[in-house]
Amino acid sequence: MLKRLLEYVGFEPGRFQARWISGSEGAKFTTTIKDMTEKIKSLGPNKKMRDDIV
Amino acid sequence: MMDVIQQLREQAKKLLEEKKVTLVIGFGQGTELARTTPVFIDSPEGVSALTWGPFCANNLAKYLTDYKNAEGNVAVVVKGCDARSVIRLLDDNQISRDKVVVIGVPCPGQLEWQKVAAEVKPGASLKETADNGESFSVKTDAGDYSFNKKDYMLHRCLVCENPNPVISDITIGKELPVKTYEERFAEVSELEQKSTEDKSAYWDKQFSRCLRCYACRNVCSVCTCQICVFDQMLPMWVSKRTNLSENTMFHITRAFHVAGRCVDCGECDRVCPMDIPLRKLNQKIHKDLGDLFDSPTPGSKPGIPSALGEFSPGDPEEFM
Ligand code: SF4
Ligand code: SF4
Repeated sequence: MLKRLLEYVGFEPGRFQARWISGSEGAKFTTTIKDMTEKIKSLGPNKKMRDDIV
Repeated sequence: MMDVIQQLREQAKKLLEEKKVTLVIGFGQGTELARTTPVFIDSPEGVSALTWGPFCANNLAKYLTDYKNAEGNVAVVVKGCDARSVIRLLDDNQISRDKVVVIGVPCPGQLEWQKVAAEVKPGASLKETADNGESFSVKTDAGDYSFNKKDYMLHRCLVCENPNPVISDITIGKELPVKTYEERFAEVSELEQKSTEDKSAYWDKQFSRCLRCYACRNVCSVCTCQICVFDQMLPMWVSKRTNLSENTMFHITRAFHVAGRCVDCGECDRVCPMDIPLRKLNQKIHKDLGDLFDSPTPGSKPGIPSALGEFSPGDPEEFM
């Protein structure tokens, strides 16, 4: 719901991600973080809700 | 609508005389022809202040939480949409059923008072209003007017789901036909289709105008927290600076805090002095709640669980 709302107000799809990972899922954690980092890097710096925008 | 007003006064008088309630909250004529003001009546002699018509946009259910600890019972006049608030407040255990008498009035829609005021002779006083199906007639001492609903009604009323109060102890007036609108979310869908840049630009334009007056929060019947996140100083969840970044944070938070409880009464949208389309944010959430959880408008039936307040194994799991 929140993700959809954020995209609706103009955040890029993928800028906000949420995953459910249990404490025993080490491998899933690694791959998820790798994917997330890649995705965020490809989106470039965030332009919305920054403290330097007044 | 004179007969409705007459019955409303009679019922209110009876409730107060029989001491079934100590207070009746209703609509009273405002200082201008096209405006009403909430009235709080505590004696049978006071009931002549009550009125009804197409200028009763306020959601009076908002006041019920103010009296939840008061001695005695409270009666409140509600339209269809306001009745959804009463159900939500009951389901949230904010008010108790035995302390509230709901006077429901089937509602043919509410006019935008600004549009009406712009056409009626200044200083004219209201004699009578009537619903003619496609339009309202407004009789004044300076002539008679007719306002067609399509152009003069509040937007929320054009797609009204519950013209008849969904909860009511005393119903005044005739029940109205209930319509369904396929285009209920037309504006949301249109915006969803736009590109990320366009959506961002659209909302930046809206949010940057926000004064952070909090009228939208104050008027909301389901904003019932004793201490609001936007007021709290320690920790200060949202800064009080009024700039685009903080305003965006405020708006996302406000909309999400009422997600699943917002009854789509449209009051936040109506009271915003900057004309920020808040309902377009709430409606996005309503649309998603329907798409993802098959959830009807909160408050439209008693006892429907809040989609975001409970878990069921069949819920979509986009984050797994
Ligand atoms: S009522 Fe309008 S201007 Fe005031 S805080 Fe809400 S959105 Fe901002
Ligand atoms: S958020 Fe707005 S539309 Fe929803 S219940 Fe509150 S005032 Fe009504």
